[in-house]
Amino acid sequence: MDVELTVSQFIDTCNQTLEYAYPSVVITGEVSSFKVNQNKWVFFDLKDEESSISCFMTLWDLRQPLEDGMKVKVLCSPKLTKWGKFSVTVKRIQPIGEGNIKKSFELLKKKLEKEGLFAPEKKRPLPKPISKIGVISSTQAAGYADFVKILNERWGGLEVQVCHTQVQGLIAADQIIRALNYLNERSEVDVIAIIRGGGSADDLSVFNDEALVRAIAASKIPVITGIGHEVDESLSDLAADVVASTPSNAAQMLTPDRVAMKRNLEDKIVGIRQKISSEIQLIENSIQNKNDELKRIILSKIELLENKLKSTRKILDSLNPEIILEKGYSIIRGDIDIGQNIEIETNSELIDAKVIAKRSKHGH
Amino acid sequence: MATKTINDKIKELDEKVEWFYGDDFALDKASEKYKSAINLTKEIEKDLDNLKNEITVIDKDFSTE
Repeated sequence: MDVELTVSQFIDTCNQTLEYAYPSVVITGEVSSFKVNQNKWVFFDLKDEESSISCFMTLWDLRQPLEDGMKVKVLCSPKLTKWGKFSVTVKRIQPIGEGNIKKSFELLKKKLEKEGLFAPEKKRPLPKPISKIGVISSTQAAGYADFVKILNERWGGLEVQVCHTQVQGLIAADQIIRALNYLNERSEVDVIAIIRGGGSADDLSVFNDEALVRAIAASKIPVITGIGHEVDESLSDLAADVVASTPSNAAQMLTPDRVAMKRNLEDKIVGIRQKISSEIQLIENSIQNKNDELKRIILSKIELLENKLKSTRKILDSLNPEIILEKGYSIIRGDIDIGQNIEIETNSELIDAKVIAKRSKHGH
Repeated sequence: MATKTINDKIKELDEKVEWFYGDDFALDKASEKYKSAINLTKEIEKDLDNLKNEITVIDKDFSTE
């Protein structure tokens, strides 16, 4: 028996069937006839070599700039309108292919730069010390494992709250935004780290999502990103307060290094030892200097006395009768009166003599 | 008395170290102060080795509002 329906009923039935068959579908294709109406509604066609389909979305859901000719991936649900026109309602859209991603990146970067979202003066330094970290990442991702490994190696005692989200794909941006909002509302962590390991440009393009970039820039809690490899740059990086080149680097930037700290403790102790040694050396030197000074004073006193002795000795020597006799003089003992016997002592002889005459040398 | 954190202990160690470079330094007290600094250093090193992070995955589904 044929089913008899009104047009509206038929359209409703078709939509129910479509919703059942394709509650959500991802379609890739090239954008054409892109237009925005009333600054609210976005219309474009998605086409490949053979077919084309009409797409509709709100401007709010358009989170990466689009242009005709761009290849994109859309998350959508099919719908038959009440005018009988088939179209897809797009929930999320992402450019694919390096060239398209780059183009979309540059367009959005320019727009957000103009708004001052990436202004250096908006950047906050990482708080110090950090005791609570909020992490947004996929707990199954290699990047997350690297982050946790380095975090545990370098430091401990941290409270880490992890929000498990997807970090690639069309719905990842929304999950990350919810996690950001959740951590900001709870306001328990000192810093939020958004972590994602390396991947293709397509994988990482989620971090160029406009709403996500705005949520990062608006976060009350400072945000650090550790996304991809050193060469990768996303708009999320530009909006973050601090950018780490990789997940491991983010862990390094968030934590002190316990090995370095131990080395630092060792240096302090070595410093103390050196200080004590140098103080002892100073005292030893001072004692040595005093000893030397004392020695010098004593020696100089001795020398002085020796010199004095020498000079006295010289005087004494000059007065020694023996020396005088050596010079040819003689000593006369006895009364020098005529007829008196006297003794004459020369250098080598003792002579007995008698005074036979005497007269004055001065003629008296 | 509240347990001292590693940072508290490092601050305390720094104060002890500063004494050696300050005007109060006296060689006859240095040995005692040095021993005390060494003991504190060992304590900090032990604390550093024992530090473990507490990682909690939040039980919330972020895939829905």
